[in-house]
Amino acid sequence: MNDQTARPLLSVRNVSKSFGGVQALRDGSFDLHRGEVLAIVGSNGAGKSTLIKVVAGAHVPDAGRIVMDGKEVPRSEHSVSHMQERGIEVVYQDLALVPNMTAPYNLFLGRIPRKLGIFVDERKMRSKTREVLAQLNVTTVQDLSKPISSMSGGQQQSIAIGRAIAWGSDIVILDEPTAALGPNETAEVERLVEDVRERHGTSFILISHNLDQVRRLADRIVVTHHGVTSREFRRDEITSDRLVKAITLGE
Amino acid sequence: MTETTASRSLLTPKRAEMLRDFVPFIAISLVILMFWAISGDRFMSVRNWTFIAQQTPVLMLLAFAQLMVVTTGSIDISIGSNLAFSAFLGALGMLWFGDAGLVLGVLAGGLVGMVNGLIISLLKIPSFVTTLAMLIIVRAVVIIVSDGTAIYITDDSVSGGTNISSVAAPWLLSMGKFPAIFILAAVVALFMWVFYERTVFGQQLRAVGGNEKVLSLVGINVTAFKIKVFAAAGLMVGLAACVNLARAGAATPQAGLMIELDAIAAVALGGTPLTGGYGSVVKTIIGALTLTIVRNGLTIAGVPPSWSQVALGVLLIAAIAISLNRSKVDVVK
Repeated sequence: MNDQTARPLLSVRNVSKSFGGVQALRDGSFDLHRGEVLAIVGSNGAGKSTLIKVVAGAHVPDAGRIVMDGKEVPRSEHSVSHMQERGIEVVYQDLALVPNMTAPYNLFLGRIPRKLGIFVDERKMRSKTREVLAQLNVTTVQDLSKPISSMSGGQQQSIAIGRAIAWGSDIVILDEPTAALGPNETAEVERLVEDVRERHGTSFILISHNLDQVRRLADRIVVTHHGVTSREFRRDEITSDRLVKAITLGE
Repeated sequence: MTETTASRSLLTPKRAEMLRDFVPFIAISLVILMFWAISGDRFMSVRNWTFIAQQTPVLMLLAFAQLMVVTTGSIDISIGSNLAFSAFLGALGMLWFGDAGLVLGVLAGGLVGMVNGLIISLLKIPSFVTTLAMLIIVRAVVIIVSDGTAIYITDDSVSGGTNISSVAAPWLLSMGKFPAIFILAAVVALFMWVFYERTVFGQQLRAVGGNEKVLSLVGINVTAFKIKVFAAAGLMVGLAACVNLARAGAATPQAGLMIELDAIAAVALGGTPLTGGYGSVVKTIIGALTLTIVRNGLTIAGVPPSWSQVALGVLLIAAIAISLNRSKVDVVK
């Protein structure tokens, strides 16, 4: 479905990052095309989280380039807010939401609309939240004044993904989106991703340990091993044997 | 099965939660009824309630300062020392610059708060330890600067003695009496409510208490925010110090000793978990009022001061045992 010869929406080239002398990521490279779901898989400590944090602007890489829409992101603009402006949003595992706050607050996190400069524009937040929930076909979230900690895991993840797409971002990074969810909620979140991709043409970068899920959702799969992005697979060329070998042995 | 037992019992989880929300209101009603029953008209008199209305504002303002800090999950135990420091600088300001110099007291409070915030955020020292150190340092500074003597606010310009500094400010003394102090407290309370419940700043207090890592990840500068929170709390302490100066008629080096504990108790009686993330201005007012009423009621009932401290401690534990919603708090430590 993707024209692989077209210029990629996002191109990550030979990105490296160390923390206190320990190299977490070495020569991380991948391309992401418009409307594509790219999975990044690898065992724990393989550098997946570092790679996505670099892409999201939360870490500045020691070396390497990030090119968006053919233009290189200058080092000075390597921050979360700049990457958000460029249309990259992340749904972090366990770290996406503020549990004691409402669904509208979480949807508007970091972008709270103001009235008269200092007041919260509660009305705007509520109406936009209803709009986004309707877009996502999420009908189970009714009471917008409740803290999200009182909602189910699936509802919370819907809101987290809703926040990522609500601001018209082109690329959404999902970090283990269903690791904490049961089978029904996992199916709900997967449906949401498919739906958003189809309707909005959003690209997704999916980090997941669930290889069945990766095969259900991803068009291409990048395997990281010991901090190196070692192999790239297309969905149809994958057998689970080869994928598992690549993940565990780096082959 | 569990559903039927739950619906049969009177205290369903939903009802328990509603009840918890009302604990501060129930507690204050019971306290009032109890002292009315014990002491009758000596407690339930206009005169006594006027006295309570004069006693509560300073504690209430300090509780507001504490509420801001506690909502973010930190604590400020330096506010008693800050109160003495700010009151002293307020009085000095009036000696130096006339009536408008009182503003120096509010600013001094803000300065101490800002220093707290800077140490906590930049040196990454926990708020409890930082403000404990500041409690000791600021109190010592007050004693050094004041040389152990007080500055008095007087009704006229006739100075008392040669050693005593005094400022003639009848207007300030009248601000410390019943209708004025009460109106001032009501206005500040209204501002605080709007600030805490309706502004982006107030909302962010709760969010930082909920999960500050998430806020950093979306690009909010939590470090700068925390410095502002402690500075804002300090300004509120400075205001409380000026009110205390008006009410007590003097800035003494001993002012506000141990009052930080009362402020924390008032916040806790108002049902705010000290772990942060939640809080209520109205309930904090109720908490401060409850504390004042219990002190006052026990005194009228003839309970010796040391025993009334025991009663206050027991009340605090009881109120929090009932009102703290443990499902909202992950870990108790």
